Amino acid sequence: MRELFPAKQVVGFIASLVLTVIALLVYFIDMSFQLGMIILLLTAFTQAGLQLVVFMHAGESPDSDSIYVNTYYGIFIALAIVFGSLLAMVWGY
Amino acid sequence: MNIDHSKPLEYSTETNDLNIIGFWVFIGAEIALFATLFAAYFILEGRVADGPSAGHLFVISTLMIQTFVLLTSSFTIGLAVNAMRVGRKGATIGFLIITLILGLGFVGVEIYEFYEYVHEGLTLQTSAFSAALFTLLGTHGAHVSFGLFWGIAIIIQLAKRGFTPRTANKTFIFSLYWHFLDVVWIFIFSFVYLKGMM
Amino acid sequence: MEFFKQFAVPNPTPTIYLSMVAIGLTLIAVLAGITYFKKWGYLWREWLTTVDHKRIGIMYLISALLMLFRGGVDALMMRAQTSRPGNELLSAAEYNEIFTTHGVVMIFFMAMAFITALMNFAVPLQIGARDVAYPRLNALSFWLYFMGAMLFNISFVIGGSPSSGWTSYFPLAGNQLSEHVGTNYYMIALQIAGLGTLITGINFIVTIFKMRAKGMTLMKMPLFTWSALITNLLIVFAFPVLTVALAMGTMDRLFGTHFFTIDNGGMAMLWANFFWVWGHPEVYILVLPAFGIYSEVISTFSKRNLYGYTSMVVAIVVISTLAFLVWVHHFFTMGQGAFVNSIFSITTMAIAIPTGIKIFNWLFTMWKGKIQFTVPMLYSIGFIPIFTIGGVTGVMLGIASADYQYHNTMFLVAHFHLVIIPGVVFAMIAGMTYWWPKMFGFMLNERIGRWAFWNIAIGTCLAFFPMFIAGLDGQARRMYTYSEVAGFGVWNLLSFFGGLGLAMGFILIVYNVYYSARYASRDIGDDPWDARTLEWATRTPVPEYNFAVEPEVNTREPFWDSKYEGEKLFKEKITDIHMPNNSGQPFIMSSFFFVLGFGLVFSLWLLVYIAAAGIAVLLFYRSFEKDDGRHIHEEDVRETEREMGGDTR
Repeated sequence: MRELFPAKQVVGFIASLVLTVIALLVYFIDMSFQLGMIILLLTAFTQAGLQLVVFMHAGESPDSDSIYVNTYYGIFIALAIVFGSLLAMVWGY
Repeated sequence: MNIDHSKPLEYSTETNDLNIIGFWVFIGAEIALFATLFAAYFILEGRVADGPSAGHLFVISTLMIQTFVLLTSSFTIGLAVNAMRVGRKGATIGFLIITLILGLGFVGVEIYEFYEYVHEGLTLQTSAFSAALFTLLGTHGAHVSFGLFWGIAIIIQLAKRGFTPRTANKTFIFSLYWHFLDVVWIFIFSFVYLKGMM
Repeated sequence: MEFFKQFAVPNPTPTIYLSMVAIGLTLIAVLAGITYFKKWGYLWREWLTTVDHKRIGIMYLISALLMLFRGGVDALMMRAQTSRPGNELLSAAEYNEIFTTHGVVMIFFMAMAFITALMNFAVPLQIGARDVAYPRLNALSFWLYFMGAMLFNISFVIGGSPSSGWTSYFPLAGNQLSEHVGTNYYMIALQIAGLGTLITGINFIVTIFKMRAKGMTLMKMPLFTWSALITNLLIVFAFPVLTVALAMGTMDRLFGTHFFTIDNGGMAMLWANFFWVWGHPEVYILVLPAFGIYSEVISTFSKRNLYGYTSMVVAIVVISTLAFLVWVHHFFTMGQGAFVNSIFSITTMAIAIPTGIKIFNWLFTMWKGKIQFTVPMLYSIGFIPIFTIGGVTGVMLGIASADYQYHNTMFLVAHFHLVIIPGVVFAMIAGMTYWWPKMFGFMLNERIGRWAFWNIAIGTCLAFFPMFIAGLDGQARRMYTYSEVAGFGVWNLLSFFGGLGLAMGFILIVYNVYYSARYASRDIGDDPWDARTLEWATRTPVPEYNFAVEPEVNTREPFWDSKYEGEKLFKEKITDIHMPNNSGQPFIMSSFFFVLGFGLVFSLWLLVYIAAAGIAVLLFYRSFEKDDGRHIHEEDVRETEREMGGDTR
C-alpha cells in the first residue's frame, strides 16, 4: 500500500487542502477587501505552483528548462492580458 | 522504436518526449485562453443590468463541494501516475476510475448550480455579467467533460494493451491536462466565487 | 422555398450572379478534368493525404497565391471606385463588403498562409530534420486553414459577405446593424482557420526545440528558424485571445448574449480590446518571418555572414515581449484617458528600437559585401527604404495626442500598407523566389522577375504615398466616395495607377512561373545560389526523407563552412529511415469542420450535430489507432541517392 501513496503526493494534497481552507477564511471572517485579495492572490498562486511542481512533475522532464520558460511566458502574457485590459477598459477612465 | 529503459516509461521514446513537451506548449495556449476569459469576466462583472449579481447568486456549500471534489481528483490522478511508475496496472486503472467519478461529480454539481442560477433569473442572455460568468465556468466545465471521455478512452487502452510506451505517455499527458484544470479551478474559486462573495 | 431564401445574397448585382456562374463552371471543369485525366487516385495519395512538410508547404503556397489574387482583385475594385469623385462603379454596400473581405483575405488567408508555407518548407530543412514533430497534425493544420478559407470565400455567393471591416467592430458587427449572415461567416471561418494556425504554432515550437541537428545549439540556428520559433511562440499565446473574442462574438450573434451589445450591460469596446490584444502580436507574427527571410537573403547575396547575429536574436526576442504590450495604440481615440494612452504610447515607440537595430544590421551586412542583385536581393534592398517610411509614420501614429488627427484617415491606411507590403509581401516573394529551386527543381527567370519587382516596388510607392497627403487633408478611410470639392481626386487617381502597377507586377510573377516551368533549365545542382544554410546541403528536388544521413554541425553557417572550410556535415552511414504514414483523417476531419461551420453560419442545427458527431468519432478513432509509421530501407535510400547523382555515403 505504501508504494501507492508516496509521502510527497500525500503532503501535497494536504497542503492544497490547507491552502483552500485559508482562502475560505476571506468568506468566513470579516476583513477588508484589500486584505482579502492579498490572501487570495497568495493562496491561489502558491496552490498553482504546488500543482505544477508536485503533481505535474514539471521539474523532472529532460526539457524542464523549456517547460518553465514556456510557463513563465504564459503567466506573463496572462497578467498582461488581464491587467492591461482592466487598465484600458475599467481603471483608465 | 528505440526505448530508453533508464527513463520512466512515459518519457522512454523520442515521440513520447515530443508529445509531452508539445502538451506543455498547448497548456501555455490554454493559459492565454483562460486569461482572456478571466479578463472578460473581471471587466463585465459589475454590468448586471436588471439581473442578479455575483454576491446575490453564489452559494458557499456547492462551492466547497466542487473544490473538494476537484482537488481530490487531482490527488487521485497523481496517484494513478505514481502507480503506473511502480508498475501496478490494477491500481492505475482504479485511481483513474476514481478520478473520473469525482470529475463526473464535479460536472454534476456544476449543472445543478447552473440550474439554480436560471431559477434565480440568471440566464445566458440576462446581462453581460451572466454571459461572462457562464462562458468562463462553461469553458472550464466543458474541458472537464471532454476529459471524462478522454479518460475513458485511456482506461480502455490501458486495460486492453497494458503499459506500453504509448499508453503510459497518454496517461501521463492526461494527468497534466487534469491537473491544469484543477489550477484553473483554483483561480475560479478564488477570483470569481470568493471575491464575489467577500 | 422558404428554406432556400436564407442562402440568397442581400445585395445581388449582375457581377455576383456572373461570379456564381463562373464558380459553378470552374468547379465542374476542375472535377471533370480530374476525372478525365484519371487523377483522383494521384490527388488523394500524393496530396490530400500527405503528411510531408514539403508538400504541405507547397499546398499552403498555392492557396496563398490564390488568395493573393482574390484579395488583389478586391483592392483594385476599391481603387477603381475611388479613382474619381462621385464614382458609381460600386454601391456603398458593395464597397463595405469589398474592403472587409480584402482585409480578411489578405491577412488571414494570404499572409498567414504564405508565412506558414515558407516555414513548413524551409524550417525542417534548415535544422536538418526529417519532418516536423507532428506530421499528422501539420496536415490537419493545413486542411483546417483551407476549409476556413473556403468557407469564408463562399460567403459572397451564398448568404452575403461580411461588411463591417476586417476588424469587425461591435456594435456595427452585431445583429442589429449587420443583419445578414456575413459576419457569422467572419466569426466562424476565422475560428476554424485560427485553430489550424494554433496547431501549427505548437508543432513548430516543438520541432525547433527538439529536432535540431546534432551540434546545432539555439545560438547556431539560422535566423529564419529563430524568427519562426518566436513567431510560433506569438501564435500560441496570441491566437487563444482571438478564439475567445470570436466565440463571444458568435454567441452574441447566434445565442443573444450581451458581451458586445449596447443594452443589458454589454461593452462594445471590449471587442476592440480583445481583437487588438491578439491583433498587435499578429502584426509581428507576420513580419518576423519576413525579417528572417531578409536575413538569409541579404547574407547569401552579400557573400558575407550576417552582421550582429546575437543582436538580431535579442531584437526579435525583445519584439516578442513588447508585441504584447502595445495593443491600445490601435484605439487611442476610444476614450481611455491620457494616463493609459501615455503608457501605450511609450511602449509603442520602444518597439522602434529593436526594429532599428535590425535595419542597421542588414545595412552593415551589405557594407563591403559582394552584392549580387538577384531578384530576392532586389526585394530585400527595396524593402529597407519603403519599410522605414512605413515604420516612421507608425511612430507618428504612436504619439497618442497626434493620433487624434490621423486616426481612421487614409494616412493610417498608407502607413500600414507601407509596412505590410514591403514587410510581408516583398519578403514572401523574395523567399518564394529564393527557395523555389529547392521546391520545384528549376529557377524562376531573373529578367521577368526584375520587371515584376520594379512594377511592384514603384506600384507600391505610387499607390500609397498619395494616401499620406489625402489622409492629412482629411480623407477618412472606408468612405466609398467623396465630392469633387474635397480635392482628394488627384491623390486617389494616382493611387489607382499605383494599384495597376502592382497588378501588373503580380501578373508578371504568374507569367514567370509559367515561363520558367516551360523553359528553365532543370540542371541546376543542389545549391544554385551558393548559399550558406543546411537546406541547400540536400538534393534538389528534396527526397521525401530530406537527408539520407542526419547532418552534424559545429558552426552557424554549416553548409558554407563545409564548402569552403572543409567542415564535414555527414559523418554517419546511411541506415533505415523511419517515416510517418499518410492519412486521410486530417482532410476528412477538416471537411466535417467545414460542414460544422456552414451549419453554424445559417443556424442549421441538424447539420451542426452531424458534423460534431463526425469529428468526435474521428477523435476516438484516432485515439485507438495503432500507427507506428514505416521504414524506408537502406538500399532504397542508397538507390535514390545514386539516381540523384553523386556519392553514396
